[in-house]
Amino acid sequence: MSSSAAEAGRTQGAAEAGRTEDATGGATAGATAGATGEHQGGSWRRLHPVTPVLRSWRVLVVLLALYGQQRGTDAVTGGGADLPGHLELLIALGVLVGAAVLSVAVSALAWRMTRYQVDAEAVRLHTGVLFRQQRSARLDRLQAVDVVQPLLARLLGFAELRLEVAGGSGSDVRLAYLREADAQRLRNELLARSAGLAYEGEEAPEAVDRTVLEVPLPRLLGSLALSGGAIVLVVFLVALAVTAVVADAQVLLLGAGPAVLGAAAGVWTSFTRSASWRVAVAGDGVRLRHGLLETRTQTVPPGRVQAVRLTQPLLWRRQGWWKLQVNVAGYGGGGAGTGGQDPSLLVPVATRAEAEEVLALVVPALLAAPEGTGSLFADVERGLEGAGEDGGWLAAPRRARWLDPVGWRRHGVLVTEHALLVRRGRLTRQLDVVPHERTQSLGLVQGPLQRRLGLATVATHSTPGPVAPTAAHLDAGSAAALLEEQARRARTARATAGPERWMEVPTARVDT
Amino acid sequence: MDAFDLPDVAWTPVSPRLVTARRLALALPVAVPVVGLVVLGVVFGGWWWWAGALVWLAWGAWLWVLQGRQVRAVGYAEREDDLLLRKGIVFRTLVVVPYGRMQYVDVSAGPVDRWLGIATVQLHTASAGSDASIPGLVPEEAARLRDRLAQRGESRLAGL
Repeated sequence: MSSSAAEAGRTQGAAEAGRTEDATGGATAGATAGATGEHQGGSWRRLHPVTPVLRSWRVLVVLLALYGQQRGTDAVTGGGADLPGHLELLIALGVLVGAAVLSVAVSALAWRMTRYQVDAEAVRLHTGVLFRQQRSARLDRLQAVDVVQPLLARLLGFAELRLEVAGGSGSDVRLAYLREADAQRLRNELLARSAGLAYEGEEAPEAVDRTVLEVPLPRLLGSLALSGGAIVLVVFLVALAVTAVVADAQVLLLGAGPAVLGAAAGVWTSFTRSASWRVAVAGDGVRLRHGLLETRTQTVPPGRVQAVRLTQPLLWRRQGWWKLQVNVAGYGGGGAGTGGQDPSLLVPVATRAEAEEVLALVVPALLAAPEGTGSLFADVERGLEGAGEDGGWLAAPRRARWLDPVGWRRHGVLVTEHALLVRRGRLTRQLDVVPHERTQSLGLVQGPLQRRLGLATVATHSTPGPVAPTAAHLDAGSAAALLEEQARRARTARATAGPERWMEVPTARVDT
Repeated sequence: MDAFDLPDVAWTPVSPRLVTARRLALALPVAVPVVGLVVLGVVFGGWWWWAGALVWLAWGAWLWVLQGRQVRAVGYAEREDDLLLRKGIVFRTLVVVPYGRMQYVDVSAGPVDRWLGIATVQLHTASAGSDASIPGLVPEEAARLRDRLAQRGESRLAGL
C-alpha cells in the first residue's frame, strides 16, 4: 500500500501525471502524435471523476436486495432479531451508508490510478492499485469499438468505451466512464487512426452513416413470441394452470415460480437487448445500435467479420425471418463479461431481402463476384432454402440418410469466388458464410459409421464465436478434394487481401 | 479411395516412446481398481470380486494394446504452405494449418515425457477449433519443428 500511496501523492493532478509519464514512457508516442498533428495525442488522460459513483451503485442494489430477501424470509418464517422496528431500520441504514462510502472510496482509489493515452500506434491503459496493470492495444489490430451505456450512465449522459482486440476473452480495453460526447469523439479518433486515415484539424470527423435497416417493434415482438423460450413459457403456464385448477394444488404453482421467472427473464432480456435495433453503414465500418435500457453502439470496421451465420427456426419460416450472427475476433463466444449481452448478434430478426443486404455489407467481397450480384444471390438463396446438388453445391450423397434421416438433403457446401457457403438443417435452417481469406485452419473428421458409408465431415475453423461452419456427411473423396482446394483458395485469398489499416494508401503513409 | 491418404504427402510418424508414456499414464487408473477388487475378494470372498477384477484387467489390456496402434496412426507432414496433422483410427481427424495463420507455437513436456525424452509441439491459430498438437516428438525434432514453424509463419505473416 505504501507504494500506491506514494504514487497517489506524486500524481497530484492529471497534468503533472501527464508530464511525468511523457518524460519516462511516452517519448516516442509524443513524437508520432506530433507528426499526425494531434494536439493531445501523447498526453495521459483520466476517466471522468463521476466513475466511482457510477461503478459503486451496484453494490448498494445488491445489499438492498439481500436485505429485502432477508426481511421476506423473516416475515414468512416468523424469525428474525427481536429488535424494535425503528432500531433495525437505523442499523440497516447505517450499514448501507457505510458500504456506500467504502465502495465509493475503493472505486475512487482505482479511478485515481487509472489513466489512458492514445497515439497513432496504440491505446495504453494503466490500472490497478495494489496490482498494477499496463495494457497497450495496437490500433491496427483493433477489431471493434463498442460504446456501452448502462441505464444510469445513460440517464446522466455518460458512456463506456470498449475496444476489442483479438486476444481472447478479457483482452479488451474498457474505458468507463467518459462523457457521452467524449466517448463518441474518442471512438471516431480511434477508428480514424486504426484506418490509417489522415485528417485535418484537431478532431477526427465522425463518419457519416447510412441506415440500412431498422427492426420494427411488431416484428421483434412476433419473433420473440415464436421463439423457443416464449413457447416453453406459455406451454408451461397453461399446463400449470390446468393442474392447479383440476387438482387444486396451488403448491405446484408456487414450486414452479423460479422456473417460470427464469424463462420470463430470458425473453425479457432478449427483448430489451434487441429493442430499437438499427444497422447502419459508415466509412469506418458497420454500425449497430440497440437496446432499450442499456444501449450499445457497436462499430465493426471492414474486414473484421470472420464469418456470418444466418439461422431460421422452424416457426419463423412462414414469415421468412432470419437471424444473423457474426464471428468477430475479440467478441468471443459471448457469455461471461458481456453483461448478458451477446455482442455477436448482427440482426435479431430480418426479412430475406434485409438479410441478404446485410450479408453483402459485412462480406463485401461477395458483391465483387465477376458474374454480378444476380448469381450471387441465387447461390445464397440455394444456401438458405435449397437442397441437393442444384446450382453446383457439393451436397451429402443419398447414403448419408442412414446417419441423418431428416436433414441429409440440406448438408452441403458451395465454393464461390470469394467465400465458402455451408448450409445445414431441415427444420432449423442455417447458412454459414466464410470469406476465404478469413479461414484459420481446416479439418476433416470421420467416425466409424461414416467410414463404412464412405462419408466424411469437413470443418472450417473460425475465431471463437457462434459460427462454426461444418459440412457433415459429404462424400469422403470429394471432402478430401474440397479440403485441398480450400486450403489453396484461402492461401491465394490471403495473399491478395487488403491492408489491416483499411483506409491507408500504401504510397502515402501518414505515420513516420 | 481413402480420403485420409492425400496424394503426394509423406507422413512423418512420431516417436514410439509415446506408446510407453501413454501406457504409463494408463497404468494407475487400471491398477488401482484391480488391486482394490482383489483385496475385497480376499477379504469378503465371492467370485464376483474376481470377475470384476478380471473384466477391468481385460479392459486395461485392450487399451494397452490399443496405444500402440493409436500412436502409429499419428502423423504430420510439413508442406510448403501448411502443416498437415492426422490422428485416430476409429474416429479419424485430419487438420490443415496454414503457416500464415499461426499465432504462436508451444513446446511442452511433463516429467514422464522428459524422462522418456519426448515433447509435444502445439500450434495455435486465432481459432479455438484448430487442435493442432503433435505429441511424442524427440526434443531435437521438437526444437527444429518449432523454429521452422516460427520462421515459416513469419515469412507468411498475415493479420487475422
